[in-house]
Amino acid sequence: MKTVDIATLKPAILPIVSILFSLITGGIILLIIGQDPMVYFGLLFAQGMGTSLGVVEAIIKMAPLLIISAGLLPCFSAGLWNIGVEGQFLIGAMLTGWAAPLLATALPYPIYLSAIVLLGIIGGMGWVLLPAILKARYDINEIITTLMMSWLAINLVTWMVKGPLNDLSTVPAQTTLIPLIHRMPLIPFSRIHIGLIIGAAVLLGMHWIIKRTTLGYQFRVMSANKKAARHSGMNVPRLTLYGLVISGGFAGLAGAGEVLAIKGLFQSNWNPQYGMTAIPLIFLARLNGWAVIPLAFFFSFLAVGGEFVARHMGVPVFFVHVLEGLTLLFFAASEYLEKRWGLK
Amino acid sequence: MDGITKRFRNVLANDNVDFHLRAGEIHSLLGENGAGKSTLMNILAGMYQPDAGSISVRGQKVKISSPQDSLKLGIGMVYQHFALIPNLTVIENLMLGFEGGFFLKLKKAKRKLHHIIEAYGLSIDPYKMIQDLSVSERQRTEILKILFHDSDIFVLDEPTSVLAPAETVNLFHTLKLLRKAGKTVVLITHNISEALAISNRITIMKAGRKTAELSGNTLSAMDPKTASDKILDLMFETIPQAETGGPAEVIDDDPVLEVKKVEVLGNRGQIGLKPISFSIKKGEIVGITGVAGEDRRLLAEVLGGQRQVAAGQLFYLGRDITQTGITQRFELGISYITDDRINEGCVPDMKLSENSILQSYNRHPNSRLGILNRQNIRSSTCDLISRFGIRATGPDALVSTLSGGNIQKFILARSLGGKPNLIICSSPTYGLDAVTVRFIQKLLKKESRRGTAILLLTPDLDELFSCSTRIGVMFNREIIGFMDRCEATTEKVGKLMVGIC
Repeated sequence: MKTVDIATLKPAILPIVSILFSLITGGIILLIIGQDPMVYFGLLFAQGMGTSLGVVEAIIKMAPLLIISAGLLPCFSAGLWNIGVEGQFLIGAMLTGWAAPLLATALPYPIYLSAIVLLGIIGGMGWVLLPAILKARYDINEIITTLMMSWLAINLVTWMVKGPLNDLSTVPAQTTLIPLIHRMPLIPFSRIHIGLIIGAAVLLGMHWIIKRTTLGYQFRVMSANKKAARHSGMNVPRLTLYGLVISGGFAGLAGAGEVLAIKGLFQSNWNPQYGMTAIPLIFLARLNGWAVIPLAFFFSFLAVGGEFVARHMGVPVFFVHVLEGLTLLFFAASEYLEKRWGLK
Repeated sequence: MDGITKRFRNVLANDNVDFHLRAGEIHSLLGENGAGKSTLMNILAGMYQPDAGSISVRGQKVKISSPQDSLKLGIGMVYQHFALIPNLTVIENLMLGFEGGFFLKLKKAKRKLHHIIEAYGLSIDPYKMIQDLSVSERQRTEILKILFHDSDIFVLDEPTSVLAPAETVNLFHTLKLLRKAGKTVVLITHNISEALAISNRITIMKAGRKTAELSGNTLSAMDPKTASDKILDLMFETIPQAETGGPAEVIDDDPVLEVKKVEVLGNRGQIGLKPISFSIKKGEIVGITGVAGEDRRLLAEVLGGQRQVAAGQLFYLGRDITQTGITQRFELGISYITDDRINEGCVPDMKLSENSILQSYNRHPNSRLGILNRQNIRSSTCDLISRFGIRATGPDALVSTLSGGNIQKFILARSLGGKPNLIICSSPTYGLDAVTVRFIQKLLKKESRRGTAILLLTPDLDELFSCSTRIGVMFNREIIGFMDRCEATTEKVGKLMVGIC
C-alpha cells in the first residue's frame, strides 16, 4: 500500500476552493433575490445527499457524465476540442431508441445488448467523423464544426422522431417503448444500472491509457507542441482522427446507455445536456480521470438536489446551473492567479 | 543602474551590479550563458523588477515597472526571438503603439519611416509582410521600430547569432551610424571578437556579478589576442582550451549517406534547392555553410525526412531511403538535430524523461505493446543527465526550466544515446556560451571517431573549420563548392559564400 503524498493532493485544492466560493456567491445571490440561503443549501444538501433516494438518483445521473468524460479525456489531452458531444450523444440515443425495440425480440439478450450498444457507439463516431476528417486533413477548426454538427443533430433527431421513427400508437412523438426486460441490467441489489460501472471503468482505463501508453503519450505531445510531434515523425492527422472519433464513440455510448437504462425510448425535444455538463467537468478535473468521479457526483448531486428544492421553495431549477457556472468562473480565476503568483 | 540585485528562488541572477551607459557609445555586455546579462537588460526593459538597486535615466531616478515605462524613457530592446507580428506589414508593425485615434495615420508614418531609412541606410520595403522577410530583414525592422519610437538607447540581445558574416558587417555598420547620431547601443553577446571589434566599452559578467569594465582605450592598447585572453579569463572560472588534434581520419570508404541530384521544393512550392549531390563516409564530418539559413534548413529537413524529395535519390548504407518516413529513418540510425530546439526539438512543458523518448517512444525498451515502461525511461534519462553533465534537477524536471545550453546538450545526448550511424545537425551551438560550444563540438568529434558519419550545417566559420573533415558551401540554393579541410581557408570559403567561385 502506497502512502498518499500530500503534494499529489495539491491540484485538488483549486476545484474545492472554487466550489466553496461558488456556494458562497450563490448564497449572496439568493439573499439578493430574497431567499434564505441557509434554508436553500440546507434543503439542497439534505435532499441531495441526506436521503438515500437523493444519493441514488445522483449516482444514476453520474453514468452518462462518466462515459462522456472518458471520451473527452483523451480528446482534450490531445488538444482537440470536441464541443459537440451533445449531438453525438443524441445520435447514439436516437439510434438506440429506434433499433432496440426491433432487435429485442429477434436476438438473444447478450447479443442484442452488445449490438445496440455498438450501434450507439458507431452513431456517435459517425457524427464526429466529418469534423474529424476536416480537422485532420485541412486543419479546419473543430470547435466550430463539432458545434455546428451538434445543432444539426438536435434538429435531425427531432425530425426523425416526429417522422420516420415515430411510434404512431402513442400520442407524443417518440419511439416504441423498450420493455423492462430488454433494458440495461442493474447492479445487483440496487436500482443503479451497470452504466455507472462501465463509466468508471472506461474513465479510469482512459486515464491509464493517456498516462501510460504510447498512444496517450503521442496525444500529450501533440497537445503540448504539435511542431515537435510532427518533427519526431508522429502522424498528427491520424492522431487527430483517433482523438475525435474516440470522444464521439463514448458520447454515442452514453446516449445508448441513457435510452436503454433510464428512458426506455427516444422522445423529441429530449436533451439532457450531459455533454455541456461534461465539458466543464473535465476542465475542473484538470484532465485527471480520478478527479472526474467526485466532481461528476457533485454535479449530479446539484442537479438532483436542485430539482428537489425547486419544488419546496420558489427557487428555479436553473439556479444550480448558476452554481455550476460560478464554480467554473472561480476555477478559471484561481488558475490564473495560481500562474500569476507562481504557486505551482 | 546601480547595485542591481535580482534573485529567482534560489538563484542570484544579478548580485549588486553597477552598469552605466553614456550617450554615443557602443557598450558590450559579455558573459557566458546564465551570467545574468539578459536578466540585467530585462530589468532595464521593465520585464523584471529588481530586488534591490536603482535606475537613473539622464540623471533622474526612475522606476521602470513595465515595458511601456521603459519605452517612454527611450529604451528599446531587440530580442533574440523577435517580437514582430508576422501577418502585418513592416509599417504596420512599426506603428504598433501609435494607434491613437480610429484611423491609422499611414501617410505620416510613411514619411517618418522614409526619413529614418535615409538617415541610417536601413533599406526595407515597408509594405512587405513580416513573414516574408529574412531573419536579417526582421532584425532591421526591430531596429527601425526603436528608431520609430524616437528611443535613444538600443539594447540588442545576441544580434549576430542569427546572422551570416556578411550580414553582421551590415549590422555593425548600422550600429556605428547610430553611435555617430549620439545614440547608445548595448550589445549583449558572448562572442568576444565581435565585442572587441566594435565596442567603446565592455562590461563583463560572471555568475551574476560584474567582474570588469574595460574602456576602449585600454582595449585598443592591447593586441587582439591578449585582449581576448584577458576577457576569457574574466568570463570563465576555467579557460576553455581550444580543441587540439583535428577530426579523426576517415575509417571507411563506403558512403553512409549518398545524396544524388536531390531537389526540394520550398514552402510555397517554389524551387527550394537545385539538384544537390554529395556523400558522407563513416567517421567523416562534412561541414556545410552558406549565407542563407533557409538553404541549410531545407537540406537538413530533406535528409531528416521532414520534407519530401522532389527529384533525385537518397541512399543510406546502400539502401534507397528517398521515400522513407521520419520514424523509419530514425529507426535505421539517422538522427536529425534541428536548429529549432524549442519548437521542434522538444516539448518544453513536459518532463525531461518524457522528452527523452520523443522519437523512440515506440521502441523497446521504452515501451512494449504500446505500454510505456516508465521505470526504464526514467533511469535512462538519469543516465543521460549524468553522462552528459546536463544541469537539471532530475528526470522529472520540465524542459522549460533548463537553460538553452542544457536543452541543447539534452537533445544531443538523446540523439547520441540512440547510437546513430548518421547525425545531421543544424547549427548545434547557436546561441550558446563558449564552454558549452566547446563541449558540444568535442562530443561531435568524439562521436565521429566512433565511426559515425556527421553532417554539420552551420553558419559559424570557426565551428566549420574546427570540426569538419570536408567543407561544402551553399549559395543560391545549391552547393557550389566542396573542399577538404586542409585546402580550405577563410578567404576561399568566404568568397564561395557570396557566390564567387
